[in-house]
Amino acid sequence: MGRTAIGAGAVIGGSTAIELLSTTRVWAAAEGTDGDILNFALTLEYIEATFYERGNAASLITDAREKDIFATIQKDEEAHVQALTDTLNKLGVAPVAKPTITFPASTFASRDSYLKLAMIFENTGVGAYLGQAGSITNKDILQAAAGIFGVEARHAALIGVISGATPEGGIYKGATETPIAKSDVLAAVMPFIGGMPNTGFAPAQRSVNYLPAGLAIGGAAAALMAFRTRGSRTPPP
Amino acid sequence: MNQDPFEGRSVIQFTSERDRRAFLKYAALVGIGGSLVSALPISNALAATSPSPSPSGSPSPSASSAPSGSPSAAGSGTSQFGAGDIGILNYALTLEYLESEFYQKGLAANILGDDAKYITPVAAHEAAHVAALTATLNKLGATPATKPTFVFPPTTFTDTATFLKSAVIFEETGVKAYHGQVVLIKDGAILGAAASIAGVESRHAAVLNYLTQMPPVANPVEQHATADEILAAIKPFLGA
Repeated sequence: MGRTAIGAGAVIGGSTAIELLSTTRVWAAAEGTDGDILNFALTLEYIEATFYERGNAASLITDAREKDIFATIQKDEEAHVQALTDTLNKLGVAPVAKPTITFPASTFASRDSYLKLAMIFENTGVGAYLGQAGSITNKDILQAAAGIFGVEARHAALIGVISGATPEGGIYKGATETPIAKSDVLAAVMPFIGGMPNTGFAPAQRSVNYLPAGLAIGGAAAALMAFRTRGSRTPPP
Repeated sequence: MNQDPFEGRSVIQFTSERDRRAFLKYAALVGIGGSLVSALPISNALAATSPSPSPSGSPSPSASSAPSGSPSAAGSGTSQFGAGDIGILNYALTLEYLESEFYQKGLAANILGDDAKYITPVAAHEAAHVAALTATLNKLGATPATKPTFVFPPTTFTDTATFLKSAVIFEETGVKAYHGQVVLIKDGAILGAAASIAGVESRHAAVLNYLTQMPPVANPVEQHATADEILAAIKPFLGA
């Protein structure tokens, strides 16, 4: 692996000059093998694909162009599931089984609630992939994971536009994307899944001390947790 | 001088757009590298906006000469900008210079109407990328590439539609350029930084495609292009 250890790197958003190589540690040390990372990604993609399958079936988006975009996003997430599964098989690593996925009852009750969670999922996905970028050792897998990452960023931006979000801070998240640690992502999505057979993933308990205090469970992952908490209190319609 | 650089030619072609279903069936990440490279060379699309239209057919992707404004070192790809990661950073800086100037001029021209709210942050991002890459190169003890003199087709900053279509192409080019370097970057921190910029370029591309009624996500994964392909594509924008 011709890649130096991730350590001193970092990039953090802001519209002024960014120190790409500051001393702030944001990049995680390797959190597992490429197979582990792919199964982590596959889990997220299962959740996203299921989310759009259910949300699109609920016919909450009625504008023709928006509907088309949501159909495309669903197909993209399904393609990611398929591609990750195929790749794991190729590597000889068992793909994680699709978990039981549940969303708060209010999620698909309105266009607004659907868009809101979609935006959080996409931005969490962006941060999740970016958080693993430095840990992937196989170049083909890195190329592909980066390619998926970019598409998740497109989705995030589009949902921001469709939601009428403010450009900076909503559609865009600054001049650079912000990575999210795997443990934070898992903590945020765990409530949506009813178990993750054969991965060995457990709810995150490892502290993320490589993150600056202000960034720990910040941003999209925190929003996801907050959404789930609020959503679960909403009685079913 | 061609007054309508887009006349008679599609601005950008998404050859893989109709291949989604096939992708679902056949794509395995490990195999993606080759298949994505076979997509339409970006140079074909960019040539459509070039101020001095290329001869029919696509320009040679083998950029036989270094673009003016690039550092002195000979070679192809990013090596003409420096060795290894330094060359990649300077290559990225050159592209960001182009994007940054393009948006600064576009905003200054005041032709964007309501769309300006979407473009203003984009201009700020590109300027931030220039600053960040420059700072990083300085920190590494390398000399940042100097900003080339850029030329744009005459209607770029007078016609809103032309500007936005050009923006789509620049963003899609930027995305392909960064993704083309991802696996070539040696340093993990630089990789992370480049990826974090690439994601923002993807957001820009999606929004600009949306604004121009183009398919905003043409493929389930981003495509990539080599430095030689990208440099050949932007060569028409590099002045003497």
